[in-house]
Amino acid sequence: MQISSASSDTIKTVTETTFRQLVLEGTGPIVVEFMSYGCGFCRAIEPILQQVAEKLHSKQKFFRVNTPVETELASAYAIEGTPTFVMFLDGAEMSRAEGPQPTLASITATVTRPFETRNRS
Amino acid sequence: MPKQTKPILLYDGECGVCRSVAHWVEKSARSKSGEISLILIPNGDDPEALKLINPNLNIWDVYATNYLIMPDASMKAGGEAVAEVFRILPNTKWFAGCFAFSIFGYRPFQMMLNLGYAILDDVRPVFGCESCGTPSIWVRPFAATAKWLSSTFGPRRGTEVAPKLTSRKASPRRSSSKPDIIPK
Repeated sequence: MQISSASSDTIKTVTETTFRQLVLEGTGPIVVEFMSYGCGFCRAIEPILQQVAEKLHSKQKFFRVNTPVETELASAYAIEGTPTFVMFLDGAEMSRAEGPQPTLASITATVTRPFETRNRS
Repeated sequence: MPKQTKPILLYDGECGVCRSVAHWVEKSARSKSGEISLILIPNGDDPEALKLINPNLNIWDVYATNYLIMPDASMKAGGEAVAEVFRILPNTKWFAGCFAFSIFGYRPFQMMLNLGYAILDDVRPVFGCESCGTPSIWVRPFAATAKWLSSTFGPRRGTEVAPKLTSRKASPRRSSSKPDIIPK
């Protein structure tokens, strides 16, 4: 399985040094994927997540955290497995989801539903 | 980074099968005088570190198949990389010439090797691969049987509760200084 090259990467990687500025001080809906390149499920969802991020890029921002490298971030957010999606709204954590099914519908629902529920309420 | 003089084989260090194969290759790559003909490096977690080996390497791609980076910066992947490794290793080079044999534009031995590599790639979860994710549909019954056999007859290691669909856990390191990333 070949995955699209990094040049078409619509999901930017955040590190411990950029996390505060890009996520905690960010505005609007932000999705952070805590992942690992060595994780098979992360590889399975990657091309679909890229599609979803491209489709939703005007509404919400997508970032990834490479957990084996960013261990402090993984620890701070109590990440127990990858992939874990943490949804932020204006810098505050709203919800999280572990290992969604690698389908367009499942991943779209995972990253949009928490914000829709919030808007309705 | 110093100039690369020997081929570099990148392999999935998270996968037990790949580690076993890499161990065999590493042993075979050493000549009687102790000189090594091939360098093995696990893929690792850092996309930038891979780019130091070759700027065209993409970490997603190297986890999808094995890569051999030649000293002239050319790259071979999958079955082609395996054939080249056979050409390099002292104890397999005698038969590796067959992979270049061509008839009517087809390389039958290389095609068989590519098929064998694809099958091995698919069945890795049956033999213990921590990073392969969900096995292919045709492999699932075998993987489930292997898991059942291992849990029934294998050594007991206690109960572990793993999160759903999770292939590996992050290994947080404890630090006395609080990072600037505390959740709100």
